[in-house]
Formats: sequence, C-alpha cells, structure tokens
Amino acid sequence: MVDRESDKALERETPAGAVHVLAVVPMKQTVLYPHVALPALVGRPTSVEAVKAALATEEKTLVVVTQRDPALEEPRPQDLYTVGTRAVLKQMTRSPEGMRLLLVGVERVVIENWEQTEGFLKARVRVLPTPTDVGPEVEARLRAVMDLGKRVIEIVQPDADVDVTEMVTRNADPLQVAYVVASLLPLPTEQGQRILEADTRLEALRLLNESLTNEIKVLQIRKEIAGQAASEMSKSQREYVLRQQLRAIQAELGEGDPQQQEAAVLRDRLEKAELPDHVRKEAERELSRLERLPPAAPDYQMTRSYVELILELPWKAAEPAEIDLGKARTILDEDHFDLEEVKDRILEDLAVMKLNPGAHAPILCFVGPPGVGKTSLGQSIARALERPFERLSLGGMHDEAELRGHRRTYIGAMPGRVIQAIRRAGRRNPVMMLDEVDKLGRGFQGDPASALLEVLDPAQNGTFRDNYLDLPFDLSQVFFITTANTLDTIPRPLLDRMEVLRLAGYAREEKVAIARRHLIPRRLAEAGLKPDQLEIPDETVSRLVASYTREAGVRELERLLGRVARKVARRVAEGTAQTHRVQPDDLQELLGDERFLPEEARQELLPGVATGLAWTESGGEVLYVEAALLPGGKELRITGSIGDVMRESATAAQTWVWSHAQQLGVAADRFEKAGVHLHVPAGAVPKDGPSAGVAMTTALASLYTDTPVRRDTAMTGEISLAGLVLPVGGIKEKVLAAHRAGLKRVVLPEGNRRELKQIPEEVRRDLEVVFASRIEDVLEAALTRSVREARARS
Amino acid sequence: MSRDPLLELLFSEPAPSSGAPWRPRADVYHTAHGWLVKLDLAGVRSADVTVTLSGNSLIVSGCRRDWLLERDWDHMQMEIAYNCFERRLDLPCEPGSCRVATEFRDGFLLVRVEPER
Repeated sequence: MVDRESDKALERETPAGAVHVLAVVPMKQTVLYPHVALPALVGRPTSVEAVKAALATEEKTLVVVTQRDPALEEPRPQDLYTVGTRAVLKQMTRSPEGMRLLLVGVERVVIENWEQTEGFLKARVRVLPTPTDVGPEVEARLRAVMDLGKRVIEIVQPDADVDVTEMVTRNADPLQVAYVVASLLPLPTEQGQRILEADTRLEALRLLNESLTNEIKVLQIRKEIAGQAASEMSKSQREYVLRQQLRAIQAELGEGDPQQQEAAVLRDRLEKAELPDHVRKEAERELSRLERLPPAAPDYQMTRSYVELILELPWKAAEPAEIDLGKARTILDEDHFDLEEVKDRILEDLAVMKLNPGAHAPILCFVGPPGVGKTSLGQSIARALERPFERLSLGGMHDEAELRGHRRTYIGAMPGRVIQAIRRAGRRNPVMMLDEVDKLGRGFQGDPASALLEVLDPAQNGTFRDNYLDLPFDLSQVFFITTANTLDTIPRPLLDRMEVLRLAGYAREEKVAIARRHLIPRRLAEAGLKPDQLEIPDETVSRLVASYTREAGVRELERLLGRVARKVARRVAEGTAQTHRVQPDDLQELLGDERFLPEEARQELLPGVATGLAWTESGGEVLYVEAALLPGGKELRITGSIGDVMRESATAAQTWVWSHAQQLGVAADRFEKAGVHLHVPAGAVPKDGPSAGVAMTTALASLYTDTPVRRDTAMTGEISLAGLVLPVGGIKEKVLAAHRAGLKRVVLPEGNRRELKQIPEEVRRDLEVVFASRIEDVLEAALTRSVREARARS
Repeated sequence: MSRDPLLELLFSEPAPSSGAPWRPRADVYHTAHGWLVKLDLAGVRSADVTVTLSGNSLIVSGCRRDWLLERDWDHMQMEIAYNCFERRLDLPCEPGSCRVATEFRDGFLLVRVEPER
C-alpha cells in the first residue's frame, strides 16, 4: 500500500507557511492523514457543493476537516477542528447516496480564516510544517509502535500476509508510519485528531502508542469471545475428524472399522445362508446399500435390522419330523384329561400329516370357556409334533399393521407379529396359536380380522406378504390353532377357514380327576412340597369345586389349590406340621367361608315359573323364566336384558299358547282380559338366543293353566309355531349346570339325543333325561299335572 | 464515512507516497540500444513533466492539471487522476553513463535510456 518510491522527499507539498483558499469538506468520525488514501462517501448537500467546487479546479484539491460532534448534520465552522488535511480528489463517482470519493491526503493545514460559509465552506488555510524531529526516543517509540502494530494485525487477521516491519522499513519516515497505522485503527475521533495535530514526531508516536495498547486489549477480549463461539460451533466437526482418525488408526491396527466389520459379518452370513433366489437378490441389494451408508445415517440401523431379519427367517422347508402317533397319543393323554373327541380329531390330523408331509397343515379353532385347557392343548400338540410352539394373543388387537407389519418407509417399522413369531421359532412349521381370536378389535387402522384371513387361508398363505419384509413367505406349513370363548364374534369368513373343535366345561367329577392328576402335583411342586407332605383327597377337591368356585374350567380351582398348598407349605416351613391331609372341613380354616352355596334349585315354583338352561361363555347356567298376567293390558311385555332373537322366541311362545288355548283347557276370555309379562332374571345380564323358547312356552302354559312346573326339572330347546322342539347348542354345558344345581330331570330336544354321550357317566347316573320332539311332550314332562288333568279340572 | 481498516489494508489500491497522489502506468522495453520506457501521461502538458536520473533510478514526476473547466458544467464522474504524479523505475545501467531522450507522442511520454559506448 505504500509505494516503493517513497524515500523521496515530500516535494509535492507546498512549503510550510504557504496559504491556499480551498473548499472544505467536513468528515464524521474520520481523520485523513497526509499520504494516506481514504475512500469516502459524501452525501450532505454542502459537502457535495464543496466537492463540486474542488472538481472545478485544475488541481482537484480540497481540505478535509473532522467535525467535533459526529451527530451534527450541518456543522458550522465552530463545530470543526481547526487542523485538517489538504487532499487531492483522485476519483469520483456519483451514486444515489451522493458522491463516492477517493481522497489522498497531501499535507497538514490549519484554517486561518473562513472565506465562505454559505452554500459550502471555503477557508483560507496555512500549510503546517512537517515535523522532522529525530533522536533515540523517536526511534524507541517507533519500534514500540511497530511491535504493537504487528500484534494488532496478528489479532485482527492472523492469516494476513502483511509484514508490518517490512511496511515500516519501506516507510522510513516515522511520522508516515504513525499516520498509516493510525488510519488503519478504529481510533476514537478525538485521539485520531490529536495525532494529526501533533507537532513533533515524538508526540504523534506517543499518542499512537497509547491508543495501540488500548486497542490490543479490546481486540484480545473480542478475539477470545469469538474464539469461544467458534470452538463450540466446530465441536461436531471435530468429532467427525476424530472419527476419521479413529478409523485410520483401526485400519492401521488391522481391527477394521466396526461398520465394515458388521457388514462383513452380515455378508458372510448371507453367503452361507440358504436362501431362495429372489430373497438373496433382495438381501444382496440391501446389504450393498448398508455397506455404503455411514453408521450415523438414520437408514443404517433400519437396513441392518432388515438384512438380519432376512437372514434369520427360516426360508428353507423344514425336514418333516417323523410323527409317532402312539407317542402323540401318550403326550396328549399325559397333558389332558378326557377331551376324547378333541384328541381323536388331533390324532387324525397328525395321521394325515404323517402320510402326506406336504399337505397343508389344518387350521383348528378351539372354542370353549376360560380355563378348560385350550392353550395347553396347543402346547401338547407342539410337543407331540416336536415342533416349536409360538403363541400370539390377538385380544384387543385393532391395528392391521400389528399382524402384517409396517412398511419399511416408516420410522420404527417392524415386521408383523406373525413373521416375528416365525423368526422366534426359527422353523417354517411351528405350531402357532392365535389366542382370543374372538376378541380381535377393529380400529380405524384397518381390520386385523381381514388381515388374518390371508394368514389363515391355505390357498393364500403360501405367499404371505408382510409389509415390512415385502417378500412372499410360505406359511402353509404352519400348524395354526386359534382359540376363542365364543364363535359369535368371530367374523364369518374367518370362521369358515377354521375347523371348530368345542371344549365344553368340565363336570365336578372331571374337575376332581383333573385336580388329582394335574393340578395338585403341579401346585405341590410350585410350593416346594413333596407329595407325601400334603394330601388333598377327592372329597376335599369336590367340596372346593362346589363351594368355592363357579366356573366351567379349572383356573380358579387351580388357584385355590395353590393357596392351600402355600398355606400348608408355610406350616411345614415353620415346623408346625410335617405332613398334612386336608379334610373338606379344613377348607373353612384355609380359605375362609364358602363363597358359593351349592346351586340349589328353587324350593317351590309358582305357576308361571319355569326352569330354563342357558349357555354362557363361562359354561352353562340355570335360569328361571317368570310369567305373570298383566290385568287390563293386551300386550306381551318382556324384560330382563333380552336380545332380539329371544324376544321373537317369546312372541312365538305366546302365539303357540294362545292358539292352543282350547287344547290346554284355558278359557279364551283369559287372554282377552289380560296381557302377559315375561321376565328372565338376572335382569342385569344380557341374554339372547332361541334356546329358552321351550322354557318360555312352559312358563306361559303353566301360568294360564294355573299349574306349577316341577321344580326338579329344567328344560332347553327352540320352538316353532307348529309346536316342534328344535335342537340347540351347548347341551353338555347346560346339562352340567343342571347337575351342579342339583336338578333331577332335564328336558332336551330330541334332535340333541346323540350329544348325550358327551355327558360324563356319573352325571347321567344322577339325571333323568327326557327327550321331546313336540312342545306337548315338554309340557307333559314338566308340569306337575298333566294338561289333560288341567283341562278336566277347568 | 467510517471504514474498515482491514478491508482497506487488503483491498485498496496502493496508496501514493512521496506526496504524489498518483502514479502513471508504464511499459518498459529492452531495445537493441538500451531501454525504452513508455508512460501513460495523456493530458499532461510537457512543461509540467520532469524526468531525472538519480543513481540507477529513472524518476518521472510532474502534475496533470485539468484544463477542461467550463462554467455551468457538472462533473459526474472522475477516474482520471489529476495533480501531482511521480513514477520511479530502477534501471540496470550505470549512472551517469546514459543518454536520456524524451518524446511526447499522442499522450504517451517516451523516455529512451541508452548507455553510451
């Protein structure tokens, strides 16, 4: 910035004391020094006029003076310093803001007299002498200034290729050095002006020295602050660099980069895995993608888990295990009491599989009340087949994606539960139990039942496509078993695909046998008791079943047995008893008061009350149908949380009774004078179905003929208007319920006769079973007097 | 009118020195006989140019005065530098043994420096 040819004396200056009359341009916050260039923007009208006047001279010179107060827009002569610099206009361009100038300072001047103050300022100036003092002190100051200047530049621009020393040596004049350095520093105006006004080199250097020292302090603090911010910003960059270095070090040590290693392990596994071609292609593609991805990429983990899933899934058909039917039978018998029909059915399926290993595995549906052993039956099947057992609970599932997976584009996508189960099983042909299929929810996210259709359809599940996996997977070798408490809530298309096997509840004697064979040994083992330490005889179990539980299955019974076992275990542990035999009367002490009185039938039945039998999800129940006349009315009123089918059934019953009034010996006017009210307690429990038709007809007939129904007799069956008694479901549960309630006779539809063989021998011994094909047969069996007698009486 | 000292430090054109606000551009030729220096001095009166030889330096200095000064004209742009100039060029020839000839042609000042045999 300083010309090489600078050692020449300042011969272009006019001699000290020379006088010029020149235009004056005031400057804000800027001091122009001799021999220093200054770009400036001039916008104020008076300044523009002054510049114009200067431009109109041959030599383009003017005087630059700094104003004392930078805030003033129209400074008057007294607002300006009196010492300024004569300058040459080197360049000028016009811009919308005013004039852009490049000024070059020539020499210091002092304003002697203001020649003009209107329009623009014009003054007579006298040139000030250039200080020329020399001496060791000047030299010392100069060196100090050079040192400080160097440091300032290092702080301001550490990379700048500026050598102050060189610059200064070229500018041999110490004053020139002071002026250049001062013009480079953002000095306060007042200090800059004092340097300009200094009459000796020493003074100028001293002032500059002072300013520089101050400036360095400020700059250093600013640099520190900026440095802090910068270091925070570059933290992540630093991390990146360190990681790169780490990788290099690992490569050097032959450890390899963990990402590469991971990919290499996967590649190795892929090469060894036996995959179908289309799967291998997909896996190859994803793996090569993985190898290119940085581990920090969000896709990295996702792609890795996907490749792992592909590698872990059992694509290869499993070796069909040799099925030993005898052994299977033994296993089923070991694990479950009775259930002959179900076991036979299972053994038939196994036989088919043995003869034709490629056949589609059957899809079974176990329906029955809770606690009858549906789940454990599935486990036994798996054991008999020597296949892994996987259980999925569908209860409450309402999102299709849970079954079929999410597409991989979603964050946190996972394969569906079916594929996950297959992966856990590690074999393509596990026994997969889909629990609680009747409790599938249905939400806004699609219908899981429909997704299940694809899983369970033997025609489709050979190419099951999970959304996550996005490759067809063969599920046809999977032995699906679904369980449900009721078939009513299973969608029809789903039900069609399954073979339904009913597991009815157990009779008391069966429960006692189950307890003896399975529950008590298991509970003893859990309580840490040896078989000889606790004996629970059958009478005790029987009392437990009758007085402490009311369930079709054995879950509660097992819990209670567990409680008994724990209490005895405590006594054994405390040393108060070594062996224990629990008598029926000990139960009071161990379990508290009896919870249920034995289901006693009502002691007396009034005319108009009949005993019906109902099937519920938890087994059979005895219910009473009550009918009463409604004097003055004509309507048929039905209450007791009755569903539509049962309501229709009641209407049919009424119609039949009214239309057979004569046959029943009822005077026709009895119908005309009064309506009838049918009620089925308990009122809070919803009831539905046609099977109470027989009981309702009997109740109405009893009411109108004023003949009580036999209190030891319960009945079930659907009726038709023609008076036929039609078969109904749940016969076993209903008969067991009647037996539990201590009833002696049951009236069943003729059409259900063949189901009688399901009923345990001991129950059949206690109960008299009457089969009816017409409603008249029912009335004959149920009413205390025969209809004929009633008719005769009336 | 505030300025960034750093910017100026890095980007401003070389500041003048020795009191001369501008430096004329120069071409230097090595000729069969010696040296030819061509200086861009358009608009400079030949009376305002001084050529001196000092040691082995050729110094051309002077002043360009604007002679196009009309009343009522408004100067809209100014890129031509006026006022004093100086250009010093180091020459590889012995001092005092050179012949120097100057010539003004079409705005260029031609300075011939030829060592005497």
